[in-house]
Amino acid sequence: MLELKGIHKNFGKHEILKGINITVEKGDVVAILGPSGSGKTTLLRCVNFLERADHGVINLEGVETNCKTAGKKDILRIRKKVSFVFQNYNLFKNKTALENVTTGLIVAQKLPREQANAVGKELLNKVGLSDKYNSYPCKLSGGQQQRVGIARAMATNPDIILFDEPTSALDPELVGEVLDVIKKLAKEGVTMMVVTHEMGFARDVANKIIFMDSGSVIETGAPREFFRAPKEARTRQFLKRFIDEPEYII
Amino acid sequence: MNRIITYVITLLPYLAVTFQYVLTSLFFGTIFGFVLAAAKLGKNKALKRLAIGYTTVMRCTPSIVFLFLIFYGLPVLFRTTAGINIDGLGTITFVIITFTLFLGASLSEIMRSAYESVDRGQYEAAVSIGLSSIQAFREIILPQAFAVSLPNMGNTILFLLKEGALGYIIGLIDIMGKAYLINGNEMGAHILEVYLALSLIYWTLSIGIERLFKYLEGRFSFEKENKDTITYRRG
Ligand SMILES: Nc1ncnc2c1ncn2[C@@H]1O[C@H](COP(=O)(O)OP(=O)(O)OP(=O)(O)O)[C@@H](O)[C@H]1O
Ligand SMILES: [Mg+2]
Repeated sequence: MLELKGIHKNFGKHEILKGINITVEKGDVVAILGPSGSGKTTLLRCVNFLERADHGVINLEGVETNCKTAGKKDILRIRKKVSFVFQNYNLFKNKTALENVTTGLIVAQKLPREQANAVGKELLNKVGLSDKYNSYPCKLSGGQQQRVGIARAMATNPDIILFDEPTSALDPELVGEVLDVIKKLAKEGVTMMVVTHEMGFARDVANKIIFMDSGSVIETGAPREFFRAPKEARTRQFLKRFIDEPEYII
Repeated sequence: MNRIITYVITLLPYLAVTFQYVLTSLFFGTIFGFVLAAAKLGKNKALKRLAIGYTTVMRCTPSIVFLFLIFYGLPVLFRTTAGINIDGLGTITFVIITFTLFLGASLSEIMRSAYESVDRGQYEAAVSIGLSSIQAFREIILPQAFAVSLPNMGNTILFLLKEGALGYIIGLIDIMGKAYLINGNEMGAHILEVYLALSLIYWTLSIGIERLFKYLEGRFSFEKENKDTITYRRG
């Protein structure tokens, strides 16, 4: 349902993405792993045109969009079907939790307010914030803010949600509540691509792992094989950090 | 004391003139400031430089000097370039033009910095859920930038109110101009009382404006516990 073909991106002279090919099927939970600076965020940003790729094609639900030549309408079409959850939440500070969730429905999709509120409340209930409808972001904890961010991304009923390290700005004790919400969505069959450093989450929730290094996809696989028997030397090196510890314990 | 009150009462009707140039300059200055701010934030390098240069020049010109430049210069400019005679324009028009041009510069700086204070991530979040750039600006950036700019806006209006008093020098009869005339007529017999009366009016106005902006700051702040509380306070 989402296919990225030959995505290239340069920042000045630096080639940050060197031709990325990724296929995501409906219901997939794709975890993207990789060292810092490997281009994971840039890749996600290229998918919904927060960054414009220099080359490449995005095929969403059978409609191909050329990244280089895409116009406003093409971009809007993709953004309507692809939602983004940001590392630092990026909630609208001038809007309550509920308004954060409903703005896309009311302003972009012209849904009547009543209807949008009903959707918004249902989603906030789902992420466990039924008592925070009217709270402004500055009064919410990081974990709560990120859950609003997830509800906001769900509101427009997207085909796929992109998560960029949704828990890495959180205090450790708040990571769980956000991961639980993402797990719940994954179980319900929501398609997602998740950039993460949470290996446990990738292993338990994802059905497909993509390992990136310096702008290229190095290895793709199912979590079992990927973590047990990584094929590439660079993958093994990357995973060593995370696997070393249990070995010591054993 | 009674005399001071009498002077206050004599001066008060001329507040209409003061309000007229304050509000008109503010109105046009806001529009001009918005255009300048857009130029400063925009991609066009030439426009950007022009807007920044203009602001710098304005900052470096004392109000009184600029008032004279407009009052004596503008008619000459119109006569020589377009052959139009604008001597018939009322004094207040020159005051309004002067302060519109001044405010444009200072308001553009206020607007620019307020705009930049809203982090780009929120704009990205807005477009990522399908809002257009204009919708994102209207729904997300503008309300926050407006709230941020309020204290500076208040200061600018106070500045305008006080600097506007200079208009009497080119013959404007607002409260300051009237006070000046009274002193002339009475040959300065009660000069201190007249200026005390004038001060009372300016103080009251300034305190009023300050209060208003404090209220607005609270009203438009988003650092509230939650929305119910705001509604409650409003009611
Ligand atoms: N707007 C930009 N301008 C210039 N260089 C950029 C920009 N954004 C990212 N980069 C560079 O691109 C490279 C990849 O960045 P990116 O944020 O995609 O990495 P990442 O894999 O998400 O890393 P992390 O795990 O630290 O989030 C980095 O070297 C970064 O410095
Ligand atoms: Mg990143």
